[in-house]
Amino acid sequence: MVHVGSLVQFSGHQHLRQRLVLSILSGKHVRIDKIRSEDKNPGLRDFEISLLRLLEKVTNGTIIEISVTGTAILLKPGIISGGTVTHECPLSRAIGYYLEPIIMLAPFSKRPLQLTLKGITTDENDLSVDLLRTVTLPYLQPFGISDGLELRIKKRGAPPAGGGEVQFLCPIIKQVKTLNFVEPGKIKRIRGIAHAVRVNPQFSNRMIEASRSVLNRYIPDIYLYSDVYKGDESGKSPGYALSLLAESSTAAIHCAEAVSKAGVAPEDIGLEATRALIAEVNKGGCVDRKHQILVLLMMVLGSEDVGRCRMGEPTPRTIQFLRDVKNFFGTSFKVVAADPSDLECSHLLYSCYGTGYVNANRTLA
Amino acid sequence: MDDRPHKAHRPATSGGKVDKKEKGKGKEKQHGFNEKAFAPKSGRRADRQGRRNVERDQTRLHVPLVNRTPDDQPPPVIVAIVGPPGVGKTTLLKSLVRRYTKQTLTEAKGPITVVSGKKRRLTFVECNNDLNSMIDIGKIADLVLLMIDGSFGFEMETFEFLNILQSHGFPKVIGILTHLDLIKKAATLRDSKKALKKRFWTEIYQGAKLFYLSGVLNGRYPDTEIMNLSRFISVMKFRPLIFRNAHSYVLADRLEDLTPRELIRTSKGKCDRTVTVYGYVRGTNLRLGTKVHIPGVGDLEMKGVTLLGDPCPMPDADSEKRRKLSEKKKLLIHAPMSDVGGVMYDKDAVWVNVPGNFTRGNEDVVQGEGEQMVMDLQDVGSTLEDAVAKSQIRLFGDSSKSLTVDPSSSADVEIESDDDEDDNDEGDEDDSGIESGADNDNNDEVDEEDRPPGPRSTGRSNRRDITRSIPSSSKTQRAEVEYAESDSELGDDDALEQGGRMRLNDDDADHDIPSDDDEGEAGDEMSDEEDESAPRWKKNLAERAQANLSSSRKLRRKDWTKLIYSTSLSPEEILRDKPREESLGDEMDEDDFFQIKKGEAGDEEILDSSKDPLDAEELKRWEDEDMLESIRHLFITGEAGAEAEGEGEENNGDDEEFGDIGEDLEGDDEIESPKQAPKSDSETSRAAALAAKKEALKRKFDEQYDDPEASKLDFYEEKKDEMARQLALNRSEFEGIDAESRTLVEGFRPGHYVRIELADVPCELIENFDPTYPIVVGGLLPAEERFGYIQVRIKRHRWFTKTLKNNDPLILSLGWRRFQTVPIYSLDDHSIRMRMLKYTPEHMHCYATFYGPVSLPNTGFCAFNSLLGESPGFRVSATGVVLDIDRSVKIVKKIKLTGVPYKIFKNTAFIKDMFSSALEVAKFEGANIRTVSGIRGQVKKAMPKPDGAFRATFEDKILKSDIVFLRAWYSVQPRKFYNPVTSLLLSDKEHWTGMRLTGQVRREQGLKTPLNVNSTYKPIERPPRRFNPLIVPKKLQASLPYASKPKLMVPQRNQTYMQKRAVVMEPDEKKAVALLQQIRALRKDQVARRKEKKEEKNAVRQKKLQKEEALKSEKEKEKRKDYMRVAGQKSKREADIEEGRGRSKRRKT
Repeated sequence: MVHVGSLVQFSGHQHLRQRLVLSILSGKHVRIDKIRSEDKNPGLRDFEISLLRLLEKVTNGTIIEISVTGTAILLKPGIISGGTVTHECPLSRAIGYYLEPIIMLAPFSKRPLQLTLKGITTDENDLSVDLLRTVTLPYLQPFGISDGLELRIKKRGAPPAGGGEVQFLCPIIKQVKTLNFVEPGKIKRIRGIAHAVRVNPQFSNRMIEASRSVLNRYIPDIYLYSDVYKGDESGKSPGYALSLLAESSTAAIHCAEAVSKAGVAPEDIGLEATRALIAEVNKGGCVDRKHQILVLLMMVLGSEDVGRCRMGEPTPRTIQFLRDVKNFFGTSFKVVAADPSDLECSHLLYSCYGTGYVNANRTLA
Repeated sequence: MDDRPHKAHRPATSGGKVDKKEKGKGKEKQHGFNEKAFAPKSGRRADRQGRRNVERDQTRLHVPLVNRTPDDQPPPVIVAIVGPPGVGKTTLLKSLVRRYTKQTLTEAKGPITVVSGKKRRLTFVECNNDLNSMIDIGKIADLVLLMIDGSFGFEMETFEFLNILQSHGFPKVIGILTHLDLIKKAATLRDSKKALKKRFWTEIYQGAKLFYLSGVLNGRYPDTEIMNLSRFISVMKFRPLIFRNAHSYVLADRLEDLTPRELIRTSKGKCDRTVTVYGYVRGTNLRLGTKVHIPGVGDLEMKGVTLLGDPCPMPDADSEKRRKLSEKKKLLIHAPMSDVGGVMYDKDAVWVNVPGNFTRGNEDVVQGEGEQMVMDLQDVGSTLEDAVAKSQIRLFGDSSKSLTVDPSSSADVEIESDDDEDDNDEGDEDDSGIESGADNDNNDEVDEEDRPPGPRSTGRSNRRDITRSIPSSSKTQRAEVEYAESDSELGDDDALEQGGRMRLNDDDADHDIPSDDDEGEAGDEMSDEEDESAPRWKKNLAERAQANLSSSRKLRRKDWTKLIYSTSLSPEEILRDKPREESLGDEMDEDDFFQIKKGEAGDEEILDSSKDPLDAEELKRWEDEDMLESIRHLFITGEAGAEAEGEGEENNGDDEEFGDIGEDLEGDDEIESPKQAPKSDSETSRAAALAAKKEALKRKFDEQYDDPEASKLDFYEEKKDEMARQLALNRSEFEGIDAESRTLVEGFRPGHYVRIELADVPCELIENFDPTYPIVVGGLLPAEERFGYIQVRIKRHRWFTKTLKNNDPLILSLGWRRFQTVPIYSLDDHSIRMRMLKYTPEHMHCYATFYGPVSLPNTGFCAFNSLLGESPGFRVSATGVVLDIDRSVKIVKKIKLTGVPYKIFKNTAFIKDMFSSALEVAKFEGANIRTVSGIRGQVKKAMPKPDGAFRATFEDKILKSDIVFLRAWYSVQPRKFYNPVTSLLLSDKEHWTGMRLTGQVRREQGLKTPLNVNSTYKPIERPPRRFNPLIVPKKLQASLPYASKPKLMVPQRNQTYMQKRAVVMEPDEKKAVALLQQIRALRKDQVARRKEKKEEKNAVRQKKLQKEEALKSEKEKEKRKDYMRVAGQKSKREADIEEGRGRSKRRKT
């Protein structure tokens, strides 16, 4: 007996992660074609394949069919099983690429997830593990996902050779709480982590100094940690980076980071990160631009009540995500200006009616 | 003597009586509150009383549940009337309907909705005796009127129904005893009432309401009794049930087939149908894009949902002022499947019933819906021919009679066809077509914009103000809720439609669309302006559009919702403001036939990453000191306005308390936040904000100062408060926006009357439609559309007589669904493994795993072996709850592999016959084995020679005769069998048969059970084992110590003296012996005679007993006869009811 679930179709390689996540959460089959079909090197890349393998590991009963050319995939999602999983990430993308979708799925699994990922911990393209630990995970707290939520950075690994290792622990929940987050508040503290592996440990201090030169004017509550990993824990390649976050009085977090580049002084990296943070703070809202999707997804999955959140303008990814959510869950958001009276304010109020998503995978008794 | 007045009483002024009174007066004198009267006399009692009060307080508390049904405009309460046939369900239904609407139903079929009070409507459903109907009704009923024949007692169906209710969430139940007039004796009546009440209370709860209805008058129950019942119904409060609070559902009160007739004809009625069902949304919001399940039919896709006008609306605002419901409102009844109001909606026709004489003249008589319809039909002025002549339909593309109708005549058509919806639509379209012909090139857009509203186009051709009220929302709403492709004026039009009159809305709803439509629209309106007959507001529109274009783009606010959801722009295009003109140009080019294929060059750079690449330009800005200073107000130390600082200071102090404050802010500022926004610099607003803040602080202080305990709520109150706040937010958030976009965001709220269009419905539903079987449209959660292995905790019902066997099909009622599946029963074996069971255990829960549609954990279910009415005994075979959902199962059963040793050394033995190949042995190397006698061992290595033989070691030497076995576990998979109970598709709805048992099939086909010779039972032959005598060698014996020597004695061979001797008696002795012999003989004879006598007596007694027995059996027979007589009467009554004679017959008995 074959039961054909409703199928959702997409084309193009963009937004692959969010589509896979939505498919697994909603249980709808997804078919994505024309993946780089016009490219010289058509089809799925190694990191995408690896992501699919990871998703297969954390789920039970998932069927993934990849066409011969690799330009089309069909995903028939199973249930999210969780448990202890280890995965070796290819070096083309950092661990953040793999961890982001997993963070969205893990609270809805059958058993608490214990995922060990090995690869690059910080690079230019993806969120570093520091930001995931200090910013992404706190964003889950208002949704009721907090106890036992942890990201341990066992080893750091800078590109190109990697060699880092993180352990992600996630509890399971029955239902996501409804978010009502409309007060952005004011920035009350700034934290940061500067790390340097296989380079002079003074580099991190230099970054901190540069950053403080700008930030000290605003508030006194600034702590920038220098995090130096040595020996085996420092991975295989040299590198350093500064990640900063600014937390507001209502627990809204904004973050930025900058990663070492060849021929650039650590001071410049520090300043770059600082300015990026200031730019991010200036954009305002209750949610960082990098985490709009995560927050919106959790709002969609909330109980059948109205959830509200105030954010800045959506990123292109967010817009596509909102459209995809409508395809998968049938939920559309009401997006209006947060301050109708103030024309200068670009903040928007996103409100939606939650789907009442209940973690059906959870075992009773 | 009579007329003489009596002497008045003269009270005594002295004597004993007076003294007594005087004395008593002093005692009575005590007034006011006597403190001692209510004070506890003993401390222990006070303590006990205190405890009791606290305990009683706790019973008041229930787990706080969110009620998703709105308080204003709730859906009608479903009142189900359930009971065995002949108990008087229809009579009660008619009586109740008569009570509420003063109308007598001749035929009550399907749900009947009436208005019962100012804030309540009721939907009555009669449940027939089919188990399928009872299951469906049990899942949706808010209140069950459980009817019990007082003269007969409870029937099995009643108990079955109660068990169904229990597993699907218990609604309120009121018991109703009928036929009490049949019990003549008062004492019997009292006793039977008491007995029934006791039984009812044990089933529901102690003190459950049980109503007594006496006889039937004029085919109805007595009015006073019905009134009492209706009062009970009207004050009933309902607690939300968890399953219904998570699912939306509709009880269909009407069903229509929309399939094209031609398709039905060509497929001989066998094609899948498109069906619409109508009903009130209940439970939670009904969302588009989800699937629905109709129990008895299957999972269906909702093609569209339309909001319709309420056919049985609640009393509106003006009648609200009155305390009681007005008489006019009382007449409202909505029962499309019954023949009420002269209209009956059949499956493919509408019957208008005109009772008695019917004249058009008398307007004072209230006319039913149907009569009005007939009169409207009579009112039509022009014939169809005229209409055709006037219409602008062109039959052929090249027909010479082209449509050169002047605008005035087209306007005429419109005005005439005002009351006819279809005509109106046609006219509109054509009208706009003509106009656009005169217009400039972008006629497509004009067409699209003009399509929806009727009023607007009429407004264009003549200047009259549109104040026509909407006939009902059902007519003006479009058939499907859909996004118009870049139909920018959608919202505006709707506003006009809803309001029924124009208004110049200068809010941002209209001038917000940065899409290419704006320009087109503007152009369109400019051209409109040239038109002489354009109304004033139109001109204004154009001006506004102009103003918009000229105004700076920066200040223009985008309508993000529309841009995201109803345009086809790519995300980047939405975000980029400037290149809109370019995209516009592109869009214009689309008309060209050939297009240069755009290379997706930009795609490759876009990485799928949530971190944006750092923009150097953007960062450069922040090198400037002024820029850095400009954002100082975003930090708590910043000084931007007085109130901001105040907030900062406040927040600075309590670091860990900020969450608390955040919550406070949310709570208080919901309404005030727009005002409080510290954006505008005007003094007044700042002052107002400050005042509001002060006010809040003062309130908080007052609260804490006056009663510090009061502000601290206990957990229960806190939760309830939280829920209330969330519900208020739910209501207020989407209050302002128009209905269509509101339904898009939140779906159809409970209480809405909707029309659901279902695609691909099996044709049997329509062909075998019977309104007495309820059609429930149950909404499914996304998880419930999937399939998987479901693990449940199950317990056989203790009234079900048979045990349940593993792998036997079972019919489950789980969630909305009823389906047959094949469960595997199991028990947890020491938390190591799930071990399969052959049968369900007695009086114990076990697990069952089956394949089927997923239901959320914690959903209750009940199971049946058969749903047929004629299956004897109690039909609910098991009940349980869902525990787990998975895609694979791990259930094992035990398997024992046996082998025999063929060569034994000391602790080593070679075993054969356990495996058949060396490979198998290799898989089991190291496995534990055991002999029957309990000697444990291990599989070592395969032997080369006999296939499957292996070497094993044991803890002791085993015997050649020992059987060696290996205990292993074999995993079992449930069969992937899911068979929905499609009872609604059958013509004979009560006789659905699913998969049968093998035995049933054999019995029905007359086949014999195949007999395997090896499986027959044979008497076990155990030949006695012979053991050789133990021989200890002589040599060894000699060397043994005495204690260990075998003490073997040869038996004596020659006779002993006692055996050999002969005895000769003395004469005296002889005599004595002879005498003894004689005495013994006498005694023997005596005993024999006595025995004979006793037997005789016994025989007599037996005869007597037999006689008594015969008498007893006679009595028994009489009793049985009596019972059968009653049963016969009952069945006759049923037959009578089926024939339609009903009550009249009944009363004679």
